[in-house]
Amino acid sequence: MYSTQIPVKIVRSWPWIAIIASILVIAFTPLPLKASQPVARTVRVEARSFEFSPSVIHVEQGQQVTIELIATDVVHGIYVDGYGHEIIANPGQTATLTFIADKSGSFRLRCSVTCGALHPFMIGKLNVGVNLLFYRAIGLSVLAGLAGFMLFRPRNEQ
Amino acid sequence: MGLILGLFATVVGARWLDRHKVIEIHARMPENGGWTPADLSVKVGQPLRLRLVSDDVTHGFAVGQTAWEALDLYPGKPVETTLIFDRPGKYVFYCTRWCGINHWRMRGVIEVYGDASTMQNSDTTTPESPLYRRLAIDLDAPHDAFVIPESQPIARKNIALNVRLPAKYLLRDYYLATAPSSAWQSLREEPSLASLSDQQIWHLVASLWRRQTSQNELKEGEKLYRTNCAACHGETGAGDGVMARWLAASAATEAPDAEHSQPSNQHTPGETVIIGHSTVVPTDFTNPHTMLGASPALLQGKIIRGGMGTGMPYWGPIFTEEQTWALVAYLWTFQFDYSQVETNE
Amino acid sequence: MQQLKLMRIELTRYSIIRSLMLSRWPQFILTSLALTGFLLAILTGWFGTPVGSRNFSIIFVWIAWWAILMLIAVPFFGRGWCSICPIPAPGEWLQRGALLQPNGKGGLSLGKRWPNKFRNIWLQNGAFLLVALFSIIVLTQPRFTAVVLTAFLSIAVATSLIFERRAFCRYLCPVGGFIGLYSQLAPIELRVKDAAICASHKTKDCYNGNLRGYGCPWQVFPGGLTKNTHCGLCMECLRTCTEDNILVQTRPFAQDLILPGGRRLDEAYKAFIMLGSALVYMSVLLGPWGSLKSAAYQIGSAPWFAYVAAFLVFVLAVVPGLFSVAVLIGRRLAGLRYNARRSVINFAYALIPLGLAAWIAFSLSFVFANLTYLAPALSDPFGWGWDLIGAAGVGWSPLFTETVPLMQIAILTIGLFGSISIVRRIAAEGVSKTAALYQSIPISLFCVGATILILTLLIA
Repeated sequence: MYSTQIPVKIVRSWPWIAIIASILVIAFTPLPLKASQPVARTVRVEARSFEFSPSVIHVEQGQQVTIELIATDVVHGIYVDGYGHEIIANPGQTATLTFIADKSGSFRLRCSVTCGALHPFMIGKLNVGVNLLFYRAIGLSVLAGLAGFMLFRPRNEQ
Repeated sequence: MGLILGLFATVVGARWLDRHKVIEIHARMPENGGWTPADLSVKVGQPLRLRLVSDDVTHGFAVGQTAWEALDLYPGKPVETTLIFDRPGKYVFYCTRWCGINHWRMRGVIEVYGDASTMQNSDTTTPESPLYRRLAIDLDAPHDAFVIPESQPIARKNIALNVRLPAKYLLRDYYLATAPSSAWQSLREEPSLASLSDQQIWHLVASLWRRQTSQNELKEGEKLYRTNCAACHGETGAGDGVMARWLAASAATEAPDAEHSQPSNQHTPGETVIIGHSTVVPTDFTNPHTMLGASPALLQGKIIRGGMGTGMPYWGPIFTEEQTWALVAYLWTFQFDYSQVETNE
Repeated sequence: MQQLKLMRIELTRYSIIRSLMLSRWPQFILTSLALTGFLLAILTGWFGTPVGSRNFSIIFVWIAWWAILMLIAVPFFGRGWCSICPIPAPGEWLQRGALLQPNGKGGLSLGKRWPNKFRNIWLQNGAFLLVALFSIIVLTQPRFTAVVLTAFLSIAVATSLIFERRAFCRYLCPVGGFIGLYSQLAPIELRVKDAAICASHKTKDCYNGNLRGYGCPWQVFPGGLTKNTHCGLCMECLRTCTEDNILVQTRPFAQDLILPGGRRLDEAYKAFIMLGSALVYMSVLLGPWGSLKSAAYQIGSAPWFAYVAAFLVFVLAVVPGLFSVAVLIGRRLAGLRYNARRSVINFAYALIPLGLAAWIAFSLSFVFANLTYLAPALSDPFGWGWDLIGAAGVGWSPLFTETVPLMQIAILTIGLFGSISIVRRIAAEGVSKTAALYQSIPISLFCVGATILILTLLIA
C-alpha cells in the first residue's frame, strides 16, 4: 500500500514528532525582550485586612519599582514571591521597597505580618512585563490535550 | 516516708503556685475586648509577672510614664516580662502598635499600692498641674493666628546675635506661654527691630522657637509623632493620616446630608465600631492659621487632655512631661524650616 | 493498550508486602498515630490560641494532613488514607468490640442496615458543600476547625453504634466522597483473581467475616469489585478470603474511568462539585479580590448569603450546565440519538483527572506558601509559649515560590491530557469512529477552557 520504504509506524508518528517539537519550542524558546530602559515607577499600595489596593500592579521588565506600603488599619507587610523582598508597615509609617523588576511574569504579593484570620489569603499581584510562563502554559496544555485527543482516537479494528 | 512525700508535694505545689503567679494578659483589637484583664494591682517593690499574648494582630505593650521598653506582641507568640514598681500610684499600660481606629482605647490600669511610709513619700512628690491649667488656657477656644507669614519661616542659628533682642524673648517661659503670632506681634513692635521686614521677623520667630529645642529632642519628638500621631494627623502633619478617613466619615454621618460613608462595608457585622460620637477631622499641623495662634502650652494641653470626644486621645497618663515637650517641639517643624540650623549642637 | 499491562505488578505476590498487609499492626499503629494527632488537634483547636497560624489544629489539619492527602495519598494510593483514617476508628473499635483481631463476641452496635434511600453519595455531596460554604472560617479559625473535627468524630462514632459497618465513611464523610471519586485514578487496585471462584463460593467470608477478619466494612462484595470508588483498601478481604483469591496490584492511572458500566448521577455531580469548588476556592482564597474574601468570611451577613448563592449556583448549575451544553452540541454534531442524560453522566467522569489536577495545583499554592508554620506549630501546639522541639521561633517564609507555578503547569497539563484521553475513550463506547470524533470535540474544548481558566487564576 505504501509506495515508499518508510515503515508505517514512522509515517503515523509524524504528528507526534510535530507535537513534541512544538512542546519543546513552546517550553524553551527564549523570546527577545525589550532592551529599552524604562523610567522608574512608584506605586502606592494601601493595605487593609484583607486586601491590597491596588490589588494588581503592572510594571515593565527592568523597571526600577518603588512600592510605598501604607497600612490603613493594623500592621501589614508585603512579601514579593519570586523576588523574596519583604517590607512591613505600621499605620502612620509608610514603608518603601525599591528594587529592579528584572524577572518577568506574575508574582504574588503576600501579607507577611499576621493581621487577622484571613491573613494567609491576603494576596495581591505584581505583573512584570509579559507573563511568558502563562502563555507557554496555555500552549503546553493545549498540546497535551491534542496529544490525548490523538493518542486515544478510536481504532478501526473493532 | 510521709515526710519525703510531703516535702516533694510542697516543692511541686510551690512551683505550681509560683507558675500561677504569672498573670496572663490577652491582647485583642479594642472592638473585640482590648486587654483582658485590664485591671491589675501589685504592691510597691513586688514583682508583677506578666505573660502577654496577642490573639489577633500585632500589638505592643508599654507602661505609661515609665522608661520600660515597649514589648511587641505578635499573634500567638506569648512574651513574658516582670515589672517592679518603686512608687505607688495608678499606672496606665497601653498598646504601642496601631491596631485599628480604636487603637488608643486599648489601655489598662495597674494599681500600685504602697505601705504607709511610701504613701507619705508619694504625697510629697505629687507633680504640679500641667502648664495649660496654671496659665488658665481654654483648650477648646479657637486660637486663630491674626497674622501669618508669606512663606515658611526659616530658623537660623545665630540670628539672635545679629539683632539687639530684649532678653525676655529668649526665656523658656516666654516660649512656652506664647503663640508664634503673638511673638511676631511683640517683635514687630520692638523699635530695635524696625529695620527688619515682616518676613524677617517671622524668620526670627522661627529661630527663637528653634533655640528652645535640640536635635535630640526633635528626634525624640519625631519618633513619638511617627508612632503615635501620624496615623491620624498624617506623616506630613497635614491631618490626612490613614485613620483620618474614619474620623471624617463618622463626622460626616452626623451631618444630615452625608455623601460618602465609606468604611461601613469594610467592617464585619457584629463588630462594634466605637469611634467617638462627635469625631472631627484631625488637626492639620501644616495650617499656619491655627498653628501659629497656638502656644506650646496649649498644644501640650491638647496632648495631655485629649480632644474630649473628637477622636483625639488623651496622652496624659502615657507621655512624660519631657515627651510632651519633645512632641510639641517637633510639631513646629510643620510650620518652621529648621533645616538650616546645624545638626551638631 | 497492551503495553500498559507492563505497569501491573501484583504486590500481594511478594511475601513481605503480603504479610505487612495481612498483619493488623501497621494499620493499627498508623491509625493510632493519626488519632493522637487528631485528638491533639481537637484539644488545641478548642483550648489553644485563636491565632490560626500558631495553632496546631489549623496547621496539622489544613497544611500537613491536606498536603499528604492531596499531593500523595489520593493521587497515588486512592483510598489509602481511608485505611488509616482515625475518624471512624473509635466507632469501629466499639462496633467490633475489638481493637485488632475479631474476638468472636459482638460489639456495641445496633447494627442497623443503612436505609436504601441513602445508598448513594448525595449525602456526601451535601456534606461537602456544607463544609465548603463555611470553609474560609474553618480553614483559618482554630475553634471552627475544632467544631468540625469534633462533629466528624461524634457523627462517626454515633453512626458506627447505630448502623452496621462503616456507614459514615461510605455514605456521609464529605472527604470520603471525593477521595472515592478520585481513587478511580489511582495506580493501585484491590481485585479478585478469579471472579468465578467468588461466584461459586458458599459462605462469602469476605462479606460476612470470619475469625481471621471482618466482613467488608465498606459493604462491597469483592467478587463484584470493578472500581476503586468504594474499596477502602482496609485489607479485611485479603485476611478473610479462604481461597487466596484477593490481590493488590499496581496499574496504569485512571483505569476505572474507562469501564463503561456503573456510572451514576451522584458521582457525576461529585465530579462537577469538585471541579467547580476548586475554581471557587482559587478565586476566593488565592485571588486578589478582598471583597470576595470578606463576603466568604462574614458568615450570616448579606454578602455571605450572596456568596453562598453564587457558590451553589456555580457549582450545581453553571458547571454542570455548561458541560451538558458541550455534551449536547457534540451529540448533535455526531448525529447521535441516545439518552442525553446518560451521556452527560458518562462524560462527567472525564472531568475527574482535570478535577484532581486542579485540586493538586490549588493545594500546591497554599501548602508551600505556609509550610514554614509547621515547625512552630509542632513546637508550641497550643500557642501557650511552649518550645518542645526548639522551633517555636521559626518565622514564616513562603517556599518554592518560583517552582510552584511550574509544578502547577505540569500537573494541569497532565490532568488535561488525562481528561481528554478519557473523553475519547468514553466517546468511542459503542458508536462509530466519526460520531465519536464529533462527540469528543466540544467536550475536549470544555476541558481546555477549564484548564485555561485555572491557569489564569493560578499563574496569570
